[in-house]
Amino acid sequence: MKERLVTTVNGRRIERYVDPSMRLVDFLRDELLLTGTKIGCKQGECGACTIIMNGTAVLSCIMPVMKAMDAEILTIEGLEKDGKLHPIQDEFIKGGAIQCGFCTPGFIMGAKALLDENPSPTSEEVREELSGHICRCTGYKKIEDAVLKAAERLREEKDD
Amino acid sequence: MTKYVGKNIPRLDGYDKATGRGLYTTDIYLPHMLHAAVLRSPYAHAKVISVDVSEAEKMEGVVAIATKDNTPRTYFNATASMFLTNLPDKPVLDQQIFSDVVRYIGDEVAAVAAETEAIAKEALKKIKVVYEELPAVYNVDDAMKDGAPQVQPDFSPGNNVCGGVVKIRYGDAEANWDKGEVFAETKVYMQRIKQAQLETHGAVADYNPKGHLKVYSTTQTPYPAKMILATIFDMPASNVHVKNPPYVGGGFGVRIGLSAKAEAIASALSILAKRPVKYIYSRSEDFLTSDSRHEGYIVSKISAMKDGTFVALDTRAYMNTGAYATLGVELAGVTGANGTSGAYRFPNIHYDGYVIYTNQETAGAFRGFGAPQGAFALETCVDQLAKQLGRDPLDLRLQNALRDGDEWWFPYPITSCKLMDCLKEAAKSIGWDEKRGKKQTGTIRRGVGIGCGTHVSNGAPFCLDYNAAFMRIEVDGSLLVSSAVPEIGPGSTTGLLQIAADAVGVPMENARFAFGDTDVAPFDVGSHASRTLYSAGYLLVRLAVDLREQIFEWAGKFLDVDPSTLDLVDGQIVSKCDAAEPHIEPTPLSYLAHQAHLRAKQFVVSGCKAPTNSPPFHAHAAEVEVDMETGMIKVLKLAAAHDVGVAVNPILVEGQIESGLIMGLGYALREEMTYQEGKGFYNDSYHKYMLPTMDETPEMESIIVEGFDPDGPFGVKGVGECGMIPTAPAIVGAVEDAIGIRFYEIPLTPGRVLKKIKEVYGD
Ligand code: FES
Ligand code: FES
Repeated sequence: MKERLVTTVNGRRIERYVDPSMRLVDFLRDELLLTGTKIGCKQGECGACTIIMNGTAVLSCIMPVMKAMDAEILTIEGLEKDGKLHPIQDEFIKGGAIQCGFCTPGFIMGAKALLDENPSPTSEEVREELSGHICRCTGYKKIEDAVLKAAERLREEKDD
Repeated sequence: MTKYVGKNIPRLDGYDKATGRGLYTTDIYLPHMLHAAVLRSPYAHAKVISVDVSEAEKMEGVVAIATKDNTPRTYFNATASMFLTNLPDKPVLDQQIFSDVVRYIGDEVAAVAAETEAIAKEALKKIKVVYEELPAVYNVDDAMKDGAPQVQPDFSPGNNVCGGVVKIRYGDAEANWDKGEVFAETKVYMQRIKQAQLETHGAVADYNPKGHLKVYSTTQTPYPAKMILATIFDMPASNVHVKNPPYVGGGFGVRIGLSAKAEAIASALSILAKRPVKYIYSRSEDFLTSDSRHEGYIVSKISAMKDGTFVALDTRAYMNTGAYATLGVELAGVTGANGTSGAYRFPNIHYDGYVIYTNQETAGAFRGFGAPQGAFALETCVDQLAKQLGRDPLDLRLQNALRDGDEWWFPYPITSCKLMDCLKEAAKSIGWDEKRGKKQTGTIRRGVGIGCGTHVSNGAPFCLDYNAAFMRIEVDGSLLVSSAVPEIGPGSTTGLLQIAADAVGVPMENARFAFGDTDVAPFDVGSHASRTLYSAGYLLVRLAVDLREQIFEWAGKFLDVDPSTLDLVDGQIVSKCDAAEPHIEPTPLSYLAHQAHLRAKQFVVSGCKAPTNSPPFHAHAAEVEVDMETGMIKVLKLAAAHDVGVAVNPILVEGQIESGLIMGLGYALREEMTYQEGKGFYNDSYHKYMLPTMDETPEMESIIVEGFDPDGPFGVKGVGECGMIPTAPAIVGAVEDAIGIRFYEIPLTPGRVLKKIKEVYGD
């Protein structure tokens, strides 16, 4: 039995009939073709599928799709605004924080949720908060640096 | 002067990857596409008597079921070794898509293609398989015993030695052994670990009944994958098209050739169903049924003079290669070559490498390709010798390290070597002189250790290194570079375009790279052996010379000047600085290319040229803290000094080093695949496999020792695998410095460390 789902994804209102046993990540990827959100494990253990729902970072691979009812969802595709990259995206690119890129959307969304909540995190806080994300390529150092740099830029932008 | 080489150009795929636009195999959705699931053996060793699919076939939504009864029985090797092995050696072809015998828990038995993944998985439950269990063997020692169960009786008759013993002989170790005065001997054990790249194996196969097979794939070697598929399905290779979409979510060696069996299974199903089939490995399948790093043990012996000069090295390696050969035999070669005997002046070398079949998940290529195992064995023995001689381990290494101009046994020369500088720089960065050898008593004790090594810049001459490419100036004056290298993460495609733009003399913004696709780009063996930038770059630099010549010749006529006076700088045809006046007005290449096209002239070069090999060198130093009460080890700092020739893009080079450092840390301290008899490997998820995470990243210093390799393009050498190699030796050495206990087995889990601490110091 399909159920009616109304949700907002990247600012766009979506209304669909969905199989309620579906996980949110499959809805995003298979139904909306928002394939920027990646699946590294589908068991809630790697962070690749991280999206922002109602302001908080969530693992979309273990989230039942109906939890998205009336929610505001932001995925990696919604981050670039008017052709301008979000400073986190920009710093990831410039700072060498991306290699294979498969963990990247999840990391960036996780970092966004973190900086939205805590605009001036310490190095330890970044490491602590993002330690649920696995990256097998970078060794993490450049990711940490990129997040800290983006935080600084966001603070400056706010001051301007 | 280069404009791009040596600069931190942001990687070209960064935008795609940071915005979610970049496509990976798992992102491919084709019209009419089916989804696959695979039935796997619950037994470590069994005959497959029958596979009954009649019930499963009846299920609504099931479109095709592949088994040993309706798929090709061709023997193959799922790795590139099938096509890269140099004569007279022969690759071991011991795999089939589905066979009459299953040889490890997880071996493939059948596959279903259905309208949804859920239906495909449901259908698996309805397939009835009759097995006849066979005796199994799980470790190297048991497998080598007389009368041991035979894992591959057709390929290693009478014993379980895969592909024969790998031997290296240089000088005469036996005859000269006794010329030494001091003898060190160590035996080390290393665990099996998993690549655990973030994107699991996958393929989307689209078979057209007219006889064309197109496969989107996670392979790190598109051309070898194409050739393997063509062999399995008995098709002309020209009818098989393998394509990265274009990105691949990591590799680390695990998909040199096919991505486990993803491409073969998806293709078999697509051929049966005549519809596109997507098969994405679950994380658990990826962990349990694709190549891992070899576990095993290595016995090393060094004969040396009292003054520390090395006389001879004797090494015997015993590696568990699991159920199938894949790249095991080649790997044992590298363990003996680069791993144990490549970094020091050893005038006499004896190496025997035994690669042993067992009824476990296959072991194959994993970053470093046997060198991390070899380096751990050798460096442990060097530390042991230092102890026996009462020498500082750094000092002993400096005494025996290779240097520029040395001879060695490899079939190619040491083109450049800054190993001494690497050792000194790493030691300096870690604070060796102040910190080493401090006796301590408290609960938390600190120590420093060091290790070094070498590796390769491609697979030659041990296996074929082949690269072809073409370069073309398009009608708008832009440069198109085409070569079927993949982009699995290191940024090779960015680095190669930096090289090409500099070599041709065009702005990088006007250069494009067609890669990772066998229909649009010429044969390249793909990403492995730290080769991509070095090998493909080597060719591009040479092609650029020809391309420029073509351009100058035509431009000379068109502009009515002597071609030999022309230069191409930043996309403008100009007179050479030293050309006689008058100099021509700078002419944009865009204009010239357009005019040339109007006159039926195209500037295009194509070719194939493989370099020899240039060994990179490296030294890592580690500082650790050991908690005597919990056995916990904390790595405080890793210092990595690398001689990679010229760094084309330093930030990307650092990325490779840091990546290897953390992987090496995982290898030394925590990662381990644990086998449970009757059940298989315990580690079927990230949760059960202790990968390093961000909160544990130590301070890391990557030092790119300034160098220049005369054979490498713009002076480049390989780097991709190096960061993994001497990390475990440095960490284990540091632990010994801290607590006075030498560990001969990794990983140094708290339990293992605490047990030893109690043995040595009491409760
Ligand atoms: S895919 Fe969701 S946490 Fe790994
Ligand atoms: S960049 Fe590959 S997993 Fe993070």
